[in-house]
Amino acid sequence: MLTGWTDLEHTFRTFDRLQRRLDRAFFDWSDPALVRVRRAPRLAWPATNVFETPEAFVVKADVPGLGEGDVAVSVEEDSLVVRGERKVDAPAGYQAHLRERAPVAFTRKLPLPARVDAERVTATLTNGVLTVTLPKSKDALPRQIAVKAV
Amino acid sequence: MSDATPVSTAKNGTVPARHYQRRAVAPPVDVFENADELLIVADVPGVSNDGIDLRVENDTLTLEARRAAVEKAPPALLREYDETDFSATFRIPAGIDTGAISAETRKGTLVVRLPKAAAAKSRTIVVRSGNRGD
Repeated sequence: MLTGWTDLEHTFRTFDRLQRRLDRAFFDWSDPALVRVRRAPRLAWPATNVFETPEAFVVKADVPGLGEGDVAVSVEEDSLVVRGERKVDAPAGYQAHLRERAPVAFTRKLPLPARVDAERVTATLTNGVLTVTLPKSKDALPRQIAVKAV
Repeated sequence: MSDATPVSTAKNGTVPARHYQRRAVAPPVDVFENADELLIVADVPGVSNDGIDLRVENDTLTLEARRAAVEKAPPALLREYDETDFSATFRIPAGIDTGAISAETRKGTLVVRLPKAAAAKSRTIVVRSGNRGD
């Protein structure tokens, strides 16, 4: 039921992958000028883990550099949506020698495998890790059925 | 770091399983420079202040950042990343005052400041006119 995150920012990622494969296949003999534009592989950001406890789903994501105002979490119908933006501007007056931390704007959508109690969802940021706890709705919790002999 | 587990060797020369070092990856890093200092910014999500071990030896800066240990994690429905530790080594260029290196963490990033030694800062030399009165 859980199909994983939909990556709304990169809907055509599959095509990107296909294109890279084709680029690689033709790289040996084609005009180098045609294949010079090769995009670096992009991974969905932020990388996310989802855990399930008996009472809740716990979503964890590494979002270093993001503060309270930079990330928005919402529960929309049957999905959890996390939006945000990480700006990594060079400090004023500094010259950059190496830039590995990329700026990124993201929207990720997680279809929830069971009903959750939207009122009790909590989200925290600790040391650059976003943790969203989604307690399961009462309807989704297992119910013991008494078996009667007749 | 004081609470790092020392890797001890058992009698037969093997390392006991529980002492295997945890996997560590190099964090993404930005390096900036201005007239007064070098600035290293590294993404180390999940690492608190206590988890960071920063050492200077000769001209080498070694960073080790350990994530807080996770108590038994519940079953995962989706796993896109492992909670790895971070480690990186930097060569400190000449002209850095290694005694004055400082570091702070904020929002899962580590900022290391490496101030330049006074002798290495650029100075403007006042040029005087030499043909005085002649």
